[in-house]
Amino acid sequence: MPAASIGRFVLRVAVWLPPAFLVWYLAGPLLAWPIALLTTAVAKIGFADIVQAVEQQGHLVVIVSTLKPTLSTTQSMASGVLSIELNVLLYSFGFPMLVALALAAGQPHALRTLLLGYAVLAPFVTWGLIAEFLKHIVFDAGPGVASQTGFTSVQREVIAFAYQFGVLILPTVAPAVFWVLTHRRFLEGLAARERVASQ
Amino acid sequence: MARFFVGFLVIQALLFGAELTPWAQTYFVVPWTHTLASLSADIVRFFDPRVVADGKILQSADGSFAVSIEAGCNGVEATIVLIAAMLSFPAPWKRRLLGLAIGVIAVQGLNIIRVISLFYLGQWNFDAFDFAHRYVWQALIMLDVLVVWLLWVRTLPRAAPARAVA
Repeated sequence: MPAASIGRFVLRVAVWLPPAFLVWYLAGPLLAWPIALLTTAVAKIGFADIVQAVEQQGHLVVIVSTLKPTLSTTQSMASGVLSIELNVLLYSFGFPMLVALALAAGQPHALRTLLLGYAVLAPFVTWGLIAEFLKHIVFDAGPGVASQTGFTSVQREVIAFAYQFGVLILPTVAPAVFWVLTHRRFLEGLAARERVASQ
Repeated sequence: MARFFVGFLVIQALLFGAELTPWAQTYFVVPWTHTLASLSADIVRFFDPRVVADGKILQSADGSFAVSIEAGCNGVEATIVLIAAMLSFPAPWKRRLLGLAIGVIAVQGLNIIRVISLFYLGQWNFDAFDFAHRYVWQALIMLDVLVVWLLWVRTLPRAAPARAVA
């Protein structure tokens, strides 16, 4: 297989990126469905005492908690329960990036790699959704709601870190790492081209 | 490759954790974000004198539109990823330091373009701004980090890449 040029590779990525983003956005509800199922499982297993249900609405996942919201004027409990609406797209925009990288690399079995990539990356999307839900109930919904969760101060720090990591790092780094790990031969080809050119 | 991967994750987590501390926010992140807004305003004023920077905000002088540079948009996380990738990859220290110096400039340079483009995109069409801000530019910045790292790996002495991919 001929060694690749980084310049041509970058151009191919640039060509694939717009259609990848378009398909990802239009297929948002479909791509969100397995992630919503995974989020349901994680929420029910890990946080059964504060999660009543998880519902999917298009590319949104709504986590219905068991927590009572507090009235802003009196801090007394309102009727009903707190629901948090979460946008799957905010944590899955690395998918089109991965698609563009994989198609631009032109390696065999790209579809299989992308399906595997989706399976590997879905838990990281779930991480972001769950972390955002926890962040909302602990830090954004007011002390009346936070006190119902029973989280310790250490657990709250962990939630804050998990949220920041899940929203700022994981959505792009996880797909990039997956691509590097599954395209080592291609990367070796890029390195080989430089050695050949310098000889 | 396993050692590179583990090192990358560990260094990244440590640097990210350090970034979130009050000390790092006060003495590094916030001043850098303000500098980023100032630099962006200085560049924009070459062709649009009606733009000013106020702290981390880039805004029209008449106050009609503004963008606030928040966490995730100041290029700090992208720089952390690049630093982690270069420090964990086997390479001579001189090459690492040179790669980091050039790489940070490349990443932050594209980030300035992000800030400026979003400033004008938001004035033209807010839906387009929202899409570009939330999704597209985040991916482009990470692609920039990846390409910079790939270019740097290619410049390394012959033995280094072979050890890393074994």
